Amino acid sequence: MKRILIAAFAALIPLLAWAQSGEEVMKKSQAAFLYPGKDFKARVLMKLINKDGQERVRELTMLRKNGGEPGGEQKYFMYFFQPADVKDMSFMTYKYPAKDDDRWMFIPAVNMVKRIAAQDKRSSFVGSDFTYEDVSGRDIEDDNHAIEREEKVGSRDCYVVKSTPKAGDADFGHKLTWVDKANFLPLKEEQYDRKGARYKEFTANEVADVKGFPTVVRRTMKNLQTGHRTEVAYSRTEYDLGLDDGLFSERYLRQPPRKWVD
Amino acid sequence: MNKISLVEFSIRRPKLVLLVAGLLTLLFLTQFPKIRTDTNPKHMLPETSDVRVWNDQVDKTFALYEDTIVVGVENDAGVLNKDTLGRIARVTDAILGLDGVASRDVNGFTTITNVTAEEGTLKVGPLMPAAPRTDAEVEDLKKALFGNPLFINRIISQDGKTTAIYVPLEKGANGAEIADKMRDIVAKEKGSERYYIAGDPVARDTFGAEMFKLMAIFSPIAGMIMFAAIQFMFRNLALSAAMMGVSMVAIIWSIGLLVGVGFPVHIMSSMAPVFLMAIATDSIHIFNEFYFRYRERGDKLTAIRETMAAVSRPVRFTALATAAGFAVMLFMNIIPVQVFGGLIAFGTVVLRLLSFSFIPAVLTFLREDKLAGKAEDATEDRTARVLGRLGSFGATRPGLTVAVTAALLAVSVWGVTKIHVNNNLVAWFKADSEIRVADTAMNRALGGTSLGYVVVESKEADFMKRPEAMRWIEGLQRHLETLPVVGKTFSVADYVKRINRVLHDDDARFDTVPDTQEGVGQYLFLFSMSAKPSDLDNVIDPASTKANLWVQMKTWDADAMRTVIAATQDYHKSHPLAATVKPAGIGYFNLVWNEEVLGDLVLGFSLALAVVFVILALDFRSFKWALVAYVPLLFTILLIYGVVGFVGKDFDMPLSVMSTLSLGMAVDFAIHFVSRFRQRREEAGTDETVEQSLAWTAARPGKGIMRNALLFAAAFSVMMAAPLTPYVAVGAFIVSMMLLSALLTLLLLPALVMLARRWLVPEQAAPAAQLAAAQS
Repeated sequence: MKRILIAAFAALIPLLAWAQSGEEVMKKSQAAFLYPGKDFKARVLMKLINKDGQERVRELTMLRKNGGEPGGEQKYFMYFFQPADVKDMSFMTYKYPAKDDDRWMFIPAVNMVKRIAAQDKRSSFVGSDFTYEDVSGRDIEDDNHAIEREEKVGSRDCYVVKSTPKAGDADFGHKLTWVDKANFLPLKEEQYDRKGARYKEFTANEVADVKGFPTVVRRTMKNLQTGHRTEVAYSRTEYDLGLDDGLFSERYLRQPPRKWVD
Repeated sequence: MNKISLVEFSIRRPKLVLLVAGLLTLLFLTQFPKIRTDTNPKHMLPETSDVRVWNDQVDKTFALYEDTIVVGVENDAGVLNKDTLGRIARVTDAILGLDGVASRDVNGFTTITNVTAEEGTLKVGPLMPAAPRTDAEVEDLKKALFGNPLFINRIISQDGKTTAIYVPLEKGANGAEIADKMRDIVAKEKGSERYYIAGDPVARDTFGAEMFKLMAIFSPIAGMIMFAAIQFMFRNLALSAAMMGVSMVAIIWSIGLLVGVGFPVHIMSSMAPVFLMAIATDSIHIFNEFYFRYRERGDKLTAIRETMAAVSRPVRFTALATAAGFAVMLFMNIIPVQVFGGLIAFGTVVLRLLSFSFIPAVLTFLREDKLAGKAEDATEDRTARVLGRLGSFGATRPGLTVAVTAALLAVSVWGVTKIHVNNNLVAWFKADSEIRVADTAMNRALGGTSLGYVVVESKEADFMKRPEAMRWIEGLQRHLETLPVVGKTFSVADYVKRINRVLHDDDARFDTVPDTQEGVGQYLFLFSMSAKPSDLDNVIDPASTKANLWVQMKTWDADAMRTVIAATQDYHKSHPLAATVKPAGIGYFNLVWNEEVLGDLVLGFSLALAVVFVILALDFRSFKWALVAYVPLLFTILLIYGVVGFVGKDFDMPLSVMSTLSLGMAVDFAIHFVSRFRQRREEAGTDETVEQSLAWTAARPGKGIMRNALLFAAAFSVMMAAPLTPYVAVGAFIVSMMLLSALLTLLLLPALVMLARRWLVPEQAAPAAQLAAAQS
């Protein structure tokens, strides 16, 4: 009897190792995808395309500054150029691990900075198919991660990690992430709803090397249920510009320095 | 004469004829398992019709769902308490997990987007993410609900006793199954709440079930009643069985063909079995005459031949008239009506074919000893005597008869002017049906279950973000809300105003559209940053060139949408805007369809009038006779419509269809009467006066007519107990039409013949006419 138990335990060890490495992989992926460099800047062009091919455009400059280690605090600053009537609007987020974000928005038409409640991380980001969570990431601790299998995406070897929320509050059931074994960037992600149906699909369309950091410069998120998709292209990407903490303040939300946003 | 040789063949090889009929019937029967129903009101008009193309386009532009189930929750003590809210949250959560439900766009307390400002923080998110645990939280929710006009009358009633969960369905989802699962979900909740499951998909499903009920329960009952009636009339089981056999064969062939060709069964075609059974009763004239002839001849085969020769012409022409009356419907615009027309026309032809093969074949099997005692004699038969007297009354008092009917007619014409064309699909269910109860409750408490859209369309990008466009829409909403039929409207302007107010610390003075396009654009952007994509997509298109105004109406009457459209046009005239304004949605569809029904009615009725007249003229080879035979028919229909007008019953699609085909069916009696009367005149020559011949016709073929009418009425009277009001209306219509038409044929026709006899029979029959004139 004892032997059998021991044997059973022994048999489970590789599985435990796998479970651990699933979380390891996702941690490394988070660091490579959302935390490279001390800070980051890009001009972002988003195309929101419905199933009939009608397009809406969002153009913005995004600044990001890390507070510390990957997985830790981050500050985001976004300044909008397009659509025309939202020009000069700006948006700021303080992201904290295991706590709701702080968000502020500057509304030029009424010359007002307004705090925005961040009660739902899974709501759409500026009307796109990306949620806030898709843009700035989900806490690794919120999910159980397990490597399902290994698979190629194009010519790249990937881990396929299944992440299942620990709490039932998220509207999705689970997701699968194809993480590049070499640089840990997510090349593909599938999100499944609570009924187990695949409903959203992320693809990294182009990865470029920017100052030694492999960066996803073109990506698509497609909603498989509505046929709506959002294509995002980064340009003028830069790392380690030495962004000052003071930049992420209400004052600069109203009047962002040209130097950083153009 | 093909038909006669068919008769001869059938008499000689009766077994072969019955065998072939049986085999063909089996062949058609094999198609039955493929049967499916179509209860979607949209399919009344072809997919390519303007209104459907336009509605599809609007659905696409504004990401609207074709089907939405509405779950109503009602609590007399109010729904805003911890227990009820807990149940609502549980029910909603369970619904979100159902397959086929478009969970992302379900709108109820736990999922609908709310925009609020708390302590300087703008909050865009679900109104009630979780059920409140404390009374204070309930109070907050109450404040949030009644503080946001977007919610009132949509998800909460003014009195706080009713709420609704709007559940859109994915394309191709099975609405009936989902509704069943919802019923299971709410059945698990114990409490004083009442739940209503309503909406298009539920109505369609109920409708389909009732249709099957009509076909599977009411049609057989109608058949049994007819069987009993025939048995009572002829007291010969073989004969009654033969009549029923004929109608069963015709029904199986017709439905088999319908199903086999791939058509679904629709509200109209579900009535086909009853119609075919009733039309089959026309062969009663064959049996009727056979019984008289057998009595006269005493030899079965001779009696069959003579019977077939005597009735073949009228039977053929009545069949032609009936078939033509239905075939006219092929020219109509409403698909189920077309299919129904074709179906019955086919069935009628089959019935006639059987009359000349199957029936004579069956007659050869009748045992002579059983026939002997029962064969009839017009002079001894009590019914025949009464009918004969009816005919002579018309013939001897023609002036009085015509005057009375003319007076009735005048009243009817007045009644006809009061007819109100209206199709209200919800009213097709009886008042105590689940659907009606749910619909009534929801209409009483909330903004209305009948939905229409007003689409404002410009060619310029971002036009709808202009403050003047926003204000125009807002003004139109206020204007429409003054109409009694409109319970609730909402548009993109409501969101903009809401955000403006919330940004300004919930100050009511800012419950307005801002002054600049940037303001509007930025508010919408702000809203879209956190709201569900569908919130905005439903009311404004991505390029902001088009806006969609939702109009909830409290009734499904087509008139409601007509009023909305007229009010919209008035407003557009007095408040010019460089945009086109068009109605859309199911409410608009119903209106268009309603007008098609009216157009079809006029077209079908005129066509049927013309066709029936031509057939009469051909049959009688005389315009004059055709004209005379026409009169009782027109009187019948006018009288019935007069009553419809006085009673105030909506003149809807089934009734309009009836008007067309009733021409083809009611004319049968006149054909039999006139044909047989003229035959009699030729046979009897100068031995009989015109009155005597008329009395004979009213007595002998008249008995056939009466029997025919009674059987017809018996079959259709069953439909008056059916669960859907169109069936009831059709049943009542046909019963009264048949009885009235028979009565008028036997009474009014003799009177008319008397009055017009010189004009009708000018030369050859002069001696008879003179004789008659001399005697009167």
